[in-house]
Amino acid sequence: MRETDPLVGVENVSRVFAMDHSEVKALDRVSFSVGAGEFLAISGPSGSGKSTLLNLIGCLDSPSAGRVRIEGADTSALSQGSVTRLRREKIGFVFQTFNLIPVFTAAENVEYPLLVQQAGSSERRRRVAEALASVGLAKRADQRPDLLSGGERQRVAVARAIVHRPALVLADEPTANLDTANATQLIDLMRDLNHALGLTFIFSTHDQRLLEHTARIIRLTDGRIASDSVLEGESHGQVSAACIS
Amino acid sequence: MGKFLLLAFRNVFRNRRRTAMTLMMVGGGVAALLLAGGYFRFMSNGLRESTIRNGLGHLQIFTAEHFRRDEVRVLDTGIENWRQVASVANAMPHVKGIAPRVEFYGMVSNGLKSSVFIGSAVDPAAEASLGFDPSLVNGTNFTKKADGDVEALIGVGLAKSMNVKVGDGLTVLAVTSDGALNGVDVQIAGIVRTGVADLDARYLRITLASAQRLLQSDRVTNLVVGLDSTANTDIVYAELAPRLGRFSQQLTMKKWIDLATYYRQVRSMFDGIFVFMGVIVFFMVLMASVNTLLMSMFERMREIGTMLAMGTPRAWIVGLFITEATLLGLMGAALGVAGGNLLGSLLNASGLHLPPPPGYTNSIAFRVLHIPGIMVGASLLVTVSLALASIFPAIRASRLRITKALAHV
Repeated sequence: MRETDPLVGVENVSRVFAMDHSEVKALDRVSFSVGAGEFLAISGPSGSGKSTLLNLIGCLDSPSAGRVRIEGADTSALSQGSVTRLRREKIGFVFQTFNLIPVFTAAENVEYPLLVQQAGSSERRRRVAEALASVGLAKRADQRPDLLSGGERQRVAVARAIVHRPALVLADEPTANLDTANATQLIDLMRDLNHALGLTFIFSTHDQRLLEHTARIIRLTDGRIASDSVLEGESHGQVSAACIS
Repeated sequence: MGKFLLLAFRNVFRNRRRTAMTLMMVGGGVAALLLAGGYFRFMSNGLRESTIRNGLGHLQIFTAEHFRRDEVRVLDTGIENWRQVASVANAMPHVKGIAPRVEFYGMVSNGLKSSVFIGSAVDPAAEASLGFDPSLVNGTNFTKKADGDVEALIGVGLAKSMNVKVGDGLTVLAVTSDGALNGVDVQIAGIVRTGVADLDARYLRITLASAQRLLQSDRVTNLVVGLDSTANTDIVYAELAPRLGRFSQQLTMKKWIDLATYYRQVRSMFDGIFVFMGVIVFFMVLMASVNTLLMSMFERMREIGTMLAMGTPRAWIVGLFITEATLLGLMGAALGVAGGNLLGSLLNASGLHLPPPPGYTNSIAFRVLHIPGIMVGASLLVTVSLALASIFPAIRASRLRITKALAHV
């Protein structure tokens, strides 16, 4: 990665899904870049392409056209093994439905990315304790997900997403299944982690509560970028020039 | 690795009812194999020992010539200095005794009717010392009369065809070792059953002394060696074989298994049935488990998608499913071994008897032997079956499209 490379580069990306007798263009020539340490929201109505865009940035899917670059590397040009390693080492995921492993405790769920990275046991213990403490769940470490509230589960999911210190955290509608109190708590937590650890957050949302705390918002409409705006007073991170296609 | 195993272990118990059903199926298969295998082994062991005790012995010594050609004259391929050979064999550890035998043939007549016989001459004392008692239908075994009183035991079929009974007299005619015709009068002491109907129709047994007088020869056809235990057969064979080489007459030895044709046939039938049962259990577990494991995969699609999204190598997903199935197999096998042994012990304690098989009068005790080899084999069989059953769901899980798996409801 060159110093001038953004953390994420989305270059003229389109994604077309083939249906039975037709094609649906979920994204249409979308371009933007995200610098390290940004706190970026991708907003828009349902079906506007938010999740598709996050999937492409997270290397969970491949674009039909265009390029997605992570730290300068064209993800389409990488082998499957390299893409898997990239996700494992560089990206943390937070899902709308939490997606915790139900047979694991909160601590074991947080530990999972480190297990996959084959980190040593003492390092795993230390990092898990830190991550759980950072989301305020140190005392709930031994609870299984079914004994945690929705807000607690999502905080465990956030701890799992940051435990291996990724360059980028992707969150797909992270507050969609939370009540107002828990949603606010989660927004504050993500913002704090962004400030304290310099973690880059990209999340999709149409939750106004979350958007109010966001430094930069990309609004999608019908698979295209309608606007890319930086809120006044929110100058954290390097916001690159928006490119509206 | 520990956490990976822990994950697999906990996943096994995620759906307890389904796991219980699978464990019961796997355990039932293992228990069935244990019971059938234990019963078959009991039956074949019983047949083995009864075959040996019915007169076959553990080892038999012949001249090498005996197997090279048919006898031109009676006993011309027999053992000459058999007493010395018997003495050498008798001195070996584990040897209980030696029984000399003469096999011969000829004609038997009651004055009204004649019939061909197949004769066997034995030393009654030696036979008795090895527990080789004839299966008497009527009368007694040889009594200790003076040499002049020649006694005979005849087969039930021969007695019927000759219309004779215990106490009647018969004339036995045979060709001597130098080609002359000789005859002795015998009195029927007992009527016996050999277990083979065709042989019963021709069977005649006299004492060794009588046969040697009849055949005008001091030779014997073979020496039957009885051991303290069947398990020592190979040991005694290995130690005795070189000692037999020191005699001027070339001698050879056969183990009981080489001579017990009927036992081998029955054993191979039991083995065939057991293998067939094993194949059925293998495929039963395989087919039922594929379905169960596929259901488990579909239920966990979103979780698998999450794991893949977090950078879990696809090989790990395959490994996870195979590990879960293997754990299930091992637990089912342990359950089956415990259940099978318990059920076997209960059946053994119940004193259950099976009806007598055709040609037999005594019922057979139902016993199940606890065979460690079958326990290990059956456990491996179901574990491998489950591991194989998991390959298809495991590969399907590992090849899921992440976005599709994450969207799975």
